[in-house]
Amino acid sequence: MLETRIYSNSNTYSILHILLSSIKGYKSSFYLAKQLAKRDIKAQYRQSLLGILWALIPVFINALVWILLQRSGAVKLTDTPIPYPVYVLIGTTIWSIFGECLAMPITTVNANIGIITKINFEKEALISLGFIKLLFNLLIKLGLIILVLSVYQILPSSSIFFFIPLLLLTMLFFVAIGTLLAPIGVLYADISRMIPIAMQLLMYTCPVLYVLPKEGFLRQIMMYNPLSYFIIDVRNTLTGFDVEHWFFWLGAFVVTGIMALLAMLVYRVSMPIITERMSA
Amino acid sequence: MGEVLIKAEGVSKKFAKDLKRSLYYGLVDMANGVMGKSKTRNLRKDEFWAVRDLNFEVRRGECLGLIGHNGAGKSTLLKMLNGLISPDEGTITMKGRIGALIELGAGFNTVLTGRENIYNNAAVIGFSREEIDANLKDIIAFSELEEFIDMPVKNYSSGMKVRLGFAIAAQLKPDILLIDEVLAVGDLGFVLKCFKKIDQLLPQTALIFVSHSMPMVARICNQIVLMDHGKTEYQGFDIPTGIGLYYNKFSTSENSVLFDDGSLEVTSFTLNVDENNTLKRGEDLVVVLNFTIKSSNVQLVPSVYLEFRDKEQRPIAGAIIKDKKVEIINNALRYTITIKNIPFSLGLYSIDLTVGNFETKEPILRINNFCSFQVESTTQMWVPIELDANFTIENYTV
Repeated sequence: MLETRIYSNSNTYSILHILLSSIKGYKSSFYLAKQLAKRDIKAQYRQSLLGILWALIPVFINALVWILLQRSGAVKLTDTPIPYPVYVLIGTTIWSIFGECLAMPITTVNANIGIITKINFEKEALISLGFIKLLFNLLIKLGLIILVLSVYQILPSSSIFFFIPLLLLTMLFFVAIGTLLAPIGVLYADISRMIPIAMQLLMYTCPVLYVLPKEGFLRQIMMYNPLSYFIIDVRNTLTGFDVEHWFFWLGAFVVTGIMALLAMLVYRVSMPIITERMSA
Repeated sequence: MGEVLIKAEGVSKKFAKDLKRSLYYGLVDMANGVMGKSKTRNLRKDEFWAVRDLNFEVRRGECLGLIGHNGAGKSTLLKMLNGLISPDEGTITMKGRIGALIELGAGFNTVLTGRENIYNNAAVIGFSREEIDANLKDIIAFSELEEFIDMPVKNYSSGMKVRLGFAIAAQLKPDILLIDEVLAVGDLGFVLKCFKKIDQLLPQTALIFVSHSMPMVARICNQIVLMDHGKTEYQGFDIPTGIGLYYNKFSTSENSVLFDDGSLEVTSFTLNVDENNTLKRGEDLVVVLNFTIKSSNVQLVPSVYLEFRDKEQRPIAGAIIKDKKVEIINNALRYTITIKNIPFSLGLYSIDLTVGNFETKEPILRINNFCSFQVESTTQMWVPIELDANFTIENYTV
């Protein structure tokens, strides 16, 4: 029996049907995603001398600036529980992962707009592709973190076992938001310009470069900013402290789950329309 | 007759002319899509029908030629058939595995080698890892790029890229094959090879072929849809008629003077055609040309060369008229040229006129598309010349 496809202008499919076809899309396109990830990673480093170091350099420079500022006394910062360079390097590294995850869906769709408008494939492959590349970059960054931790002889405690699950949940959270933004972000370039600026701004309202102040206006902002909890606890698991905000993580788990389903739905429905508008 | 694999019923698609508005409509459509509301079916501001109410079906073993001028809606239709965009009205039903030769080499990264890119492109067009591994040798052999397969694709010529792309796509064993003007880039040897491959696939495949090359359309298609501004202008199994209508869209009655040194003028001319500008095949063609000579430079009777072109603008025949014995007396010359038993097949033919100096052969006057005429015939043929064959057919014992 031949597979029959029917194309028409009907949106009468149920939400469940769309979700199921989205899952099917992720499954059936996984080989394609792997292949394209291999392509992108190989190509990226073949024409480069420093290779994978480029994944680290921006993070490193950012951290270096703050380390120098702190050393020179130009900015006065509350003492951190671990040596400041470790604090700031881990902070900026994790923060850079947030930003990459958020921008990933738009970046990946834009980078592959050529095949989207020409070839019929499961577009879910692009999200998997982006995720694989994120994980690859993550490995490099983890290498840097391990190096820094061993130089400063900081030993993680048993809470290290929560590192991977918490980080993956966080990444999924940002990828889901990014995917929800993608349909608008691909149509209008404004979103992809806004993301780095917003992330830069948000960084200062989170304990990335400095600890949560004991009191004051900034403390208020940081306490209200949910991103603070992501960064505090993920850093804690790496540096031998305990996870502090279990209730937050429970909430994050539920919210991420709902958003991920929503993102799958929105992505599946909007990709044909994106294809149409980008090729018209 | 094979089963129907492609069926289009009342298919329409609209596009917006303005980019900002197009993006905005996209946003509205997405919002409606997520909410489960259907799209509006009427034209919104700045929108037009890129494809309007198309109906056809293609069976296994059949080939439908999709022709029309640029912007007629062919590519949009192909995108809908390929499932890239969904129709705004109507339904398309596709049965079986779809292969699309629309964009060859999609997914190539130019920094990587040909071999690596085989995997990329093959994955994009729907091969599994096992299929690629199994076909790798065939792909490289078909592309004839053994020597360069480990070189970055960056250094390939456009023809080489198309070769590699086609070699990969050709390994698909599709039930439905969509081909857009992609084969034009390769050299002749490769184009012939591609057609051989398409011929091989055709018996098991329903094919849709988009092309501006009518000889190619005539060669493989058994059904034609001629599109104009999104609408069907002709649809049917009569290939010569469809192609004829396509050519009529571009036929101009305007001639173009390529060269004129001013010493000679065509005062009038006639062709022995009927009121419909038509001549029957096998009749004699009589062309009468009246010239006025305006310069004393013309001492000898000029030679005249008539070149016949078919609707493809291919030169197909020529006639040379020259005679030294005639003298120029009062600067007015009449040439009566009879061409016996015109063997042309049904269609429109044009004549290019060249008048030249008898001795030096230097041109005096050259007019392309000087005049044209229609040939009527009972049989329809794609080729411009229908030969009369004498034959016997008899039974014989082995």
